[in-house]
Amino acid sequence: MNADCLDNSDHRRAAPAPMRLASWFVALGLLLDAGAAVAQANDDQAVSAPADATPAELTAAELQALQAAAAQDSAASAPQLPVNPSSGSSNPSISLIFDGAAAGYSDSKPLQTGGHDPKRNGFNLQQLELHMASSVDPYLHFESNIVFGQFGVEVEEAYAESLALAHGLQIKAGQFLTAFGRINNSHPHSWNFVDQALMIGKFFGSEANRGLGVQAGWLTPLPWYTEIKLSATDAVGQCCARSWLGGSDLPVRRPNDVLYTLTAKSFVPIDDDWSLQLGVSGQEGPNASGNGNRSEVLAGDLYVRYRPAADPERRSLSLQVEHGVRARQLPGRSLVDHAGYAHLVGVFALRWEAGWRTDWTTGLADDPLDPQWTGQRTRHAAQLTFYPSHFSRLRLQASADLPSWRSEPIYGVVLALETLIGDHGAHNF
Amino acid sequence: MMRRWWMIAFLAAQLWALPALALQLVATLPSLAALAKEVAGPHAAVESLLGPRQDPHYADARPNLILSLNRADLLVVNGLELEVGWLPGLVRQARNPRIQVGTAGYLDASTLVRRLQVPAKVDRAMGDIHPGGNPHFAWDPRAGASIAEALGRSLATLDPAHAADYQRNAAAVAARLRALAAEEARRFAALPAQSRQLLVYHDSLVYLIDWLGLKQIGTVEPRPGIPPDPAQLAKVVGLMRTTGAKLVVQEEYYPRTTSEQVAKLTAAKLLVLPAGARYAEGQRYDDFARGLARELYGALGGK
Repeated sequence: MNADCLDNSDHRRAAPAPMRLASWFVALGLLLDAGAAVAQANDDQAVSAPADATPAELTAAELQALQAAAAQDSAASAPQLPVNPSSGSSNPSISLIFDGAAAGYSDSKPLQTGGHDPKRNGFNLQQLELHMASSVDPYLHFESNIVFGQFGVEVEEAYAESLALAHGLQIKAGQFLTAFGRINNSHPHSWNFVDQALMIGKFFGSEANRGLGVQAGWLTPLPWYTEIKLSATDAVGQCCARSWLGGSDLPVRRPNDVLYTLTAKSFVPIDDDWSLQLGVSGQEGPNASGNGNRSEVLAGDLYVRYRPAADPERRSLSLQVEHGVRARQLPGRSLVDHAGYAHLVGVFALRWEAGWRTDWTTGLADDPLDPQWTGQRTRHAAQLTFYPSHFSRLRLQASADLPSWRSEPIYGVVLALETLIGDHGAHNF
Repeated sequence: MMRRWWMIAFLAAQLWALPALALQLVATLPSLAALAKEVAGPHAAVESLLGPRQDPHYADARPNLILSLNRADLLVVNGLELEVGWLPGLVRQARNPRIQVGTAGYLDASTLVRRLQVPAKVDRAMGDIHPGGNPHFAWDPRAGASIAEALGRSLATLDPAHAADYQRNAAAVAARLRALAAEEARRFAALPAQSRQLLVYHDSLVYLIDWLGLKQIGTVEPRPGIPPDPAQLAKVVGLMRTTGAKLVVQEEYYPRTTSEQVAKLTAAKLLVLPAGARYAEGQRYDDFARGLARELYGALGGK
């Protein structure tokens, strides 16, 4: 938790977001009704053809009357709630994740960008994440991540996601991390390194790109997994949309005063052991310099994973690369810069993992967002992780940060502990 | 010209989007897929999400599985949180209302079997235990029989046109599996009590042990999911010596070095069992179960 984020929530309250959101929720409601109607139609089919195979024939008119009656009743009757089959309880799954670290940097003010990075010499509470999730009803699933810092609380994510829409569609609404690239919409708990990738901090802010809004995902009918996601989220917050409205309180007047994110992802299972995932992402929205000026980010991501499916030691090797280019219109000029990272992570024995990451960014002499970040910056990090069980981990990470505008590199060593209690859901690939 | 290409692309997309003609069944484990195929016969395509050599506790949630789940009319899961590390997110992303929890297209096999080792108290200090009971019942043909019967009922509901076939197949499979279970149990009962003892790697063979009347003297892992340390190995070697057990058993997806070492130190035999039916290679569930019994019987010194 940091001051940026508190700023952000204040700006949210100031923006006339409720109007905009209301219209989205109406649209979502209509879509869900359509989904419910499809589900209802499926149920009707099952009912109209009983197993004993001697049904009295229904005329089309009778069938229609029954369907109309069922549709009317379905509005009045409570839907059957799915229950958690293993525990026999309808409680949401609740888990609490603690991330703490002891850190030592060669400079007392290291240039770490992440809101949950260990930033000072000595002990750091990175975060205490309270995760709760459950089915809402047969049509919606709800997830929330409430993150506690030493001095505050933030709603990292809180969203509902549809379960039963037709045509491969899925709608998400609420506050969520946008589907940009690979690492942006993951939590520190599933990262392979202790700190945030520089690209995310430079382009989006300390908490990665997130906001209140709505997202539509479409699972294309291609024979390999390809999903396209489009979201509209508010473009405010130093923590989360610094390339766009950031900390300014420019009002939302038109539909294009929000941030649009478009992502396409394809996954190719090369064989049982090798996986390849490719993605492209683009974002576009208004920036804080006013006068209709816009910012955009375009990026590509690559993930290659080798995991011999039958290996008892569960060994694996994964390469992940993301690179993005950002363009900003400012009064009288436009700025273009780049950032990216690549990491290689290997699980080399039961309970043991090691990884290497290199971050890179360019810098601009007259960038109003990062006035000191005037040139190239490269950062290398190596980590070694021990997992006593899959509910805890101990991670040692060493890094060398090489900002071209400083005469000395910044070296750092961090020892981080993570523990997870409770029932935490599965992670995405 | 351009317009014609768009038309072709549109039509091709429609073809892909057409619903498949046969019922699509998806099972998480190959043993469950083998059972489902026998009950469904030619009326359904049956797919297993995992292969028999994959540990279902630690599978990757590969996105291609979303496509299989998206098309499925029936999803058969083992349950008892065996698939909790990878399946729930995939089912949500599959955006398939037919297979969500609580629908006719979601069959949780663990609700159909007699559960063993249901813990009175759950605490993770005890290791990776499953609060609803031990999930490894797919070894036991008696559980297989109950699952086959439930599959018959589910398929009859989903595809009433072939209800009679499904129910007939299910009854035949269940009868065959119960006969197999009884016959093997009798054969094992004739072995002397001394040679019916075994040490296991992970506490996952309880249903097999219960079926065949064997005695588990301990586990190589100190607690489920926690790899053994030297103190634990000394303890199990001691156990092997005092009980006179001569067999160590584990599934193929667990590491073998420690089991081999224990077997060597106690002049015992190490038996590595297949973890699931070789469904992709056409193996039937009853051949899988019979194979398990045959290997165990031979390893315990039966003739």
